[in-house]
Amino acid sequence: MISVYYFGAIALILVGLYAILVKKNLLKILIGLSIMETGVNLLLISIGYVSGKSAPILSEGIGPSQAVDPIPQALVLTAIVIGVATTAMALSVAILIYEKYGTLNVEEIRRLRG
Amino acid sequence: MNGQYAALLIALPLISAFFVPVFKGMGKNAVRYFLILVTALQTGIAAWVFKEVYTTGQPIIVIAGGWKPPVGINLYLGHFAALFVLIIAVVSLFTSIFSISAVKTEPIDKYAMLFLLLMLGATGMIATGDIFNLFVFMEITAITAYALTAYNKTGESAEASMKYIILGGIGSSFFLIGVALIYGSLGTLNMAQIAQLAATMDPTVAQVGLALIILGLAVEAELFPLNAWAPDAYQAAPHPITVMFSAFVVKAALYAMARIIYLMQVVESWGSVLRLLIVMAALTVVVAELAALRQKNVKRMIAYSSIAQIGFIALAFALGTQAGVDAGVFHMINHAIVKVLLFLAVGYVAITLGGAELEKFQGLGRRMPLTAFAISVGAVATIGIPLFNVFWSKIRIILATLNVGYTWAAVLVLSASVVEAVYYFRLLHAIWFEGEGERISESMVIGLMMFFLAALVVVIGVYPDYVWELARKAGEDIFNVAQYVKNVPLMGVGA
Repeated sequence: MISVYYFGAIALILVGLYAILVKKNLLKILIGLSIMETGVNLLLISIGYVSGKSAPILSEGIGPSQAVDPIPQALVLTAIVIGVATTAMALSVAILIYEKYGTLNVEEIRRLRG
Repeated sequence: MNGQYAALLIALPLISAFFVPVFKGMGKNAVRYFLILVTALQTGIAAWVFKEVYTTGQPIIVIAGGWKPPVGINLYLGHFAALFVLIIAVVSLFTSIFSISAVKTEPIDKYAMLFLLLMLGATGMIATGDIFNLFVFMEITAITAYALTAYNKTGESAEASMKYIILGGIGSSFFLIGVALIYGSLGTLNMAQIAQLAATMDPTVAQVGLALIILGLAVEAELFPLNAWAPDAYQAAPHPITVMFSAFVVKAALYAMARIIYLMQVVESWGSVLRLLIVMAALTVVVAELAALRQKNVKRMIAYSSIAQIGFIALAFALGTQAGVDAGVFHMINHAIVKVLLFLAVGYVAITLGGAELEKFQGLGRRMPLTAFAISVGAVATIGIPLFNVFWSKIRIILATLNVGYTWAAVLVLSASVVEAVYYFRLLHAIWFEGEGERISESMVIGLMMFFLAALVVVIGVYPDYVWELARKAGEDIFNVAQYVKNVPLMGVGA
């Protein structure tokens, strides 16, 4: 069955991709990258989601059969951490670019070519 | 000895990276020598793993925490991984020695940390037996590569790094979607179990998942159209890092791509995935060779040449036959040796003469004869002239393409070699027949490394059989998935 979350996830991915491809401002491109990563994370989570089941924590009345699949959640935690690292790295490079070029417009940052 | 010690290949660089700040306080050069020490140790461990795997013929499988796969995570060091982990370690050793004279920019401790993590990432990508782990190692490699590209802190390096980050971000998202699709339909992330269950997968989902994984890894593997970052990063990164990018970061991604594709070879839509890869590889060759022709900067020219060679390797992998995979692995080994030689020599010239433009190379034969000789050997070998190593792997690739009836691919490889000859002979002409200059004294250590690599190029060129045998075994490791599944001690879950 196709869950409604898939549509949300794919819409987020496409919005992010649109921003990366079309926007001229470096910061907007990086925001697009973040939105895309969020979409991917949502997709991963929705793959493990089973309607009506509870969180994968064993407690009273909740055995392994009543819980959702915990692996995608673990994966998403890792992916979020990696995404944050990438974003931090990208922002620090953006600061460096602003210092050297005095602009964040990608059309003016073209010293390397050929 | 116990095979579990092979886990040190991952543990040693990681722990050493955390110890770098301790050595920073012990003097200006302590960090550089610590880097050499760690890479030398890593080479020792890799050599032991290589010896163990090739003498027993059995892969070393490291099981993390005693949990059997697929519940636990395993490392798989088969013939391919053992060979390439050794290549990674040796190249890292060379580049860490080269770093002493090549990297003067501060802060050196951060450079050393990122250097070790880059080595760790590539090693992990080759050794891991789990596709999500592969993603994590890929991101370690990618993030350190972004940081190292920007290391010189010039406008150019920041620009190159930003291009790399944006493409890499898109690529890693695609890869993750591919992993999600595979996990969603098979319920496992372990490579051996994926191979086991692949037949039950829906062909369309498998096709989309594999295509997304190929596109995701194509950023690191520099396949067209996701390789726009590569020439810029090669040009702007510190010289030792360029050597590492070309020698093993790309190879690790290519291997990962080949491994995942061949794991799923029972899927019905497999042929269309191979066709996608073939088209990307052929376009990579054409675009890169044509771009290389009009370069004025030698480092950038060799970067484009390197991308074209990657196209050949991907083409060989995409043929879907044993002969193709073997030829691809053989070309990977040869290309690693040749490009380390070329980037080392060109980087050394760029440090000594203050730039890598073509004019700087005029009269190099008189000014720095040893380095000029090394560049000549590398250039002649890359073109594929007999008695040099690349000749044999190009022949193998051509034979493999003819075997499956792709005559156009054989023609492509040959005509690409002609284009290579044009721009490399232009470089050689500038080196030997133009310009005048005083003799400059060359560094003994770097001269020795270049001499060793050049000797290796010629020795493999004259006696290719031993290395071909290694490549054949490594290729079988990728191609023979049934054996791969049998080697991994899977728990009886889900199967």
